[in-house]
Amino acid sequence: MGYVQAGYSIVLGILFLYGLQLVWRRRRLNRSVARVVASDAGAVGLTVDTSGAARHADAPGVGRPPGDR
Amino acid sequence: MSTNQHVPAPPVQSRRSLWTTRIIGITALVATAFTVWLGLWVTPPDQVQGNLVRLVYIHPGVAWVALYLAFGLAALASVLYLWPRTRSLYWDRLAAAAVEVGVVFNVCTLISGSIWGKPTWGVWWAWDARLTSTAVLLVLFLGYLALRRVPAEPEVRAKRSAFVALFAAVDIPIVHFSVLWWKTLHQGATVLNANLSPTIHGSMAWTLLLGFIALTLVFVWMLLVRYRIGVLEDWLGTGELDVALRERQAEGASLDDDEAAA
Repeated sequence: MGYVQAGYSIVLGILFLYGLQLVWRRRRLNRSVARVVASDAGAVGLTVDTSGAARHADAPGVGRPPGDR
Repeated sequence: MSTNQHVPAPPVQSRRSLWTTRIIGITALVATAFTVWLGLWVTPPDQVQGNLVRLVYIHPGVAWVALYLAFGLAALASVLYLWPRTRSLYWDRLAAAAVEVGVVFNVCTLISGSIWGKPTWGVWWAWDARLTSTAVLLVLFLGYLALRRVPAEPEVRAKRSAFVALFAAVDIPIVHFSVLWWKTLHQGATVLNANLSPTIHGSMAWTLLLGFIALTLVFVWMLLVRYRIGVLEDWLGTGELDVALRERQAEGASLDDDEAAA
């Protein structure tokens, strides 16, 4: 049964850690996009809310930051 | 001063798409937990293999995802990218996501197979046709991922990646038919055999089926998240350095404006 337990633990462990890494990468990139959008919006004199979404819909490069929240 | 005249709108993920990803993730988690419970505690041991047979509920499942779903999807997406009528970076992104997830599942296939091999064959590894062709497949797709990191224009990168994916995909049927073409230590197909009549029955068959569904759902969830990462990376730039540069440029632009205003 030791081999079986090892097999399950290692396979599920790898999948779990990879899944965790994917979520972390997505979150980090979402934050980067929000930061860039917020800075760009600031550069054209727009009001930016705390989530990084600009209020001026027509401005280039400005819009609702991607989801994940 | 505006520094972002040519910057496209940021990639927005719809609420519906977010919830779909979440629901698939939760369903995958529950299905996997059920598979583990059934596989380790509910199903009976095998007459010949004893408790070792419990590895059948995960090993063929991860192999199915890696070989057929992930690498098969990558090959299909690569064909669709190379086909002039369907050419779009969408297919390239999908292929890249499928290969990355597929490589993880391929590693799981080799590890779980090796753990099963030690008590049944007496060795962790044998240069058997099935094992060797699966290892070659892993190396080929690792090469694909390495090639994608070579700096290039997105279209150039997409085109050469698609060719490499198709070249690597030639190994998929070799892996599948290796147990028929050569005398191998590895057993023949249990479910997808020539007669399409599974040689496993009862609670063991149902648990095996649930394992396949659970791992397929895990793959779909990972693919969706990895695809989203690709979309965000493409918007910010192709690499880590580009992401950092975009952020610094944006910060610099806002500082310039502050100074000008002062």
